[in-house]
Amino acid sequence: MSRRDGQRWRELLNRREATRGLLVAFEGPDGSGKTTQRKLFKTWLKAEGREVSTTKWNSSPLIKPLVKARKQARALSPEEFCLLHAADFRYRLETEILPALWAGTTVVADRWLFTALARDAARGLAFDWVLQVYAPIFWPDIVFYFSVAPETSSTRIAATRTPKFYEAGQDITGLDDPFTSYRTFISRVIREYDELAVVFRFVTIDAEQSINEQHRQIRERFQQAERRPWPEWNVEALVDWLSRHPEAPRVVARA
Amino acid sequence: MAVGHATSGRLIAVEGTCGPDLAAAAKRLSRGLGDGASGVSAWDASGIFTELAAADPQVARPTTRTLTLLYAADLAFRLRWQIRPALDAGHAVVAAPYVQSAMALGSAAGLPTRWLIELFRFAPAPHVCYRVRERRLRSSVQAASGYLEFFCGAIDAGGDPRQSARLRTRAIDFLDRLERRRRCTPLTA
Repeated sequence: MSRRDGQRWRELLNRREATRGLLVAFEGPDGSGKTTQRKLFKTWLKAEGREVSTTKWNSSPLIKPLVKARKQARALSPEEFCLLHAADFRYRLETEILPALWAGTTVVADRWLFTALARDAARGLAFDWVLQVYAPIFWPDIVFYFSVAPETSSTRIAATRTPKFYEAGQDITGLDDPFTSYRTFISRVIREYDELAVVFRFVTIDAEQSINEQHRQIRERFQQAERRPWPEWNVEALVDWLSRHPEAPRVVARA
Repeated sequence: MAVGHATSGRLIAVEGTCGPDLAAAAKRLSRGLGDGASGVSAWDASGIFTELAAADPQVARPTTRTLTLLYAADLAFRLRWQIRPALDAGHAVVAAPYVQSAMALGSAAGLPTRWLIELFRFAPAPHVCYRVRERRLRSSVQAASGYLEFFCGAIDAGGDPRQSARLRTRAIDFLDRLERRRRCTPLTA
C-alpha cells in the first residue's frame, strides 16, 4: 500500500471513530457462565438504547458445517483444528463483525481469538504460530474474562452433559473417559487463559460469585471503561477490510 | 510443528496455476518414479473445497484470507494422511500443488508475504520443487479443476471477472520470480 493510500485510510478511520460500534468480548473456559452473562449484558445494553449484535465462536454459515462434520468424525489434527477455526473467525470478522462495528452497532462476542490461543496452546501448538494464523489481529475494546477453577468448570459441565471429544481434549490426552480427559485438558486451558489475562489486560470477573454480582460488576466496569480510539494494532485489519470493500467509505459519508 | 525432514523419503512439490496441467504433470512424474513412488497428493484431499462449493449460494463468499486458511487446513490434512506416511515409509511422494502455488495466489490477491510464510511454516520444505509453466491462459476450465480455478471462481462471484485474470497474471509473475531465483525447476505441461 502506498503512503498516500495509508494516509487516506487512516483519515477514514479517524472520521468513523466517534460513531463506530464497540466490540466487547466474553472469554473463559466452558462452564464459567459467560454465556449467561453475555445474554444479561446484551439485554441491558438494548435497554440502554444501543444497537447490539452477537457473534458466537465457530458459528459462520459457511465454515461451521465443515468443522462440525470433521469433529463428528474425530478427524482433526491440532493444526487442522486451529486453521479451520481461524477460517471461521476470519470469515465472521470480515463479513459480520467489521461491517456491524463500522455501521455503529455494538458487537458482543461469545469468545474471541483468545479462545483459540488458549485451546491451541493447550494442544501443544506454538503460541507465536497461532497468533500469526489469526493475523492481522483485531482487538476488542474490552475483554471480560470469567475466571473459574478447573474443578468448578468440570463439576458444572459434568452436571449438565458429557463433554464432547474435542471439548474434552481427548484428541491429545488419549484418555477414554471424557470426564477425566476434560479435567486434565481444562486445567491446561485455564493455565493458558490466566497467562493471557495478565498479558492482554482482561477485565477478570470471579465467576465463582453469584450471577447477579457478576452482572453488576460487568455493568460497572463497562461504564467505567473510557471510549478509546481503535487500538493501533487494529488498523491493519481495518485497512485490509476497507480496501476490499470499497462501498464501506460511503457509509461514513452518510453517517 | 515439524519443518525439517527426519525421513528417508522424498517430497516432490509441483507448483503452477493451471489445475488440469498440474494434475497431468504430477501423474506423469509419479509414474516415472516407478516403485519408489507412493502417488500424488492432490489439492482438496480433505474435501473441504468440494463441500464449500456445495454451500448455500445465498451465503457470503469466502474472502481471500479465509480461502488461504482453508487451503492451509487442507494441506495439513494431506501432510497427515498422505505425505508424511509416504515419507516415513521411505517413498517419494508428489504434492501438486504444494505451498508455493498458494503463496503465489495469496500474494497476487494482496496478502502480505510475511503472513503467508508464517502460515505455511508447518509444512516441510520439499526436496525438489518443479513448476509447470502455463501453456496458455485457459478461461474455460471448471472451478473444481484446481485451487487457482476455485479461488478465482470464488472471487469472481463478487462481481468483476477481470479480477481473476489479474490474479492469474500476478500469480504467474510470482512463480516466474521463483524460477529466476532457481527455487523451482520448470517442467513442461
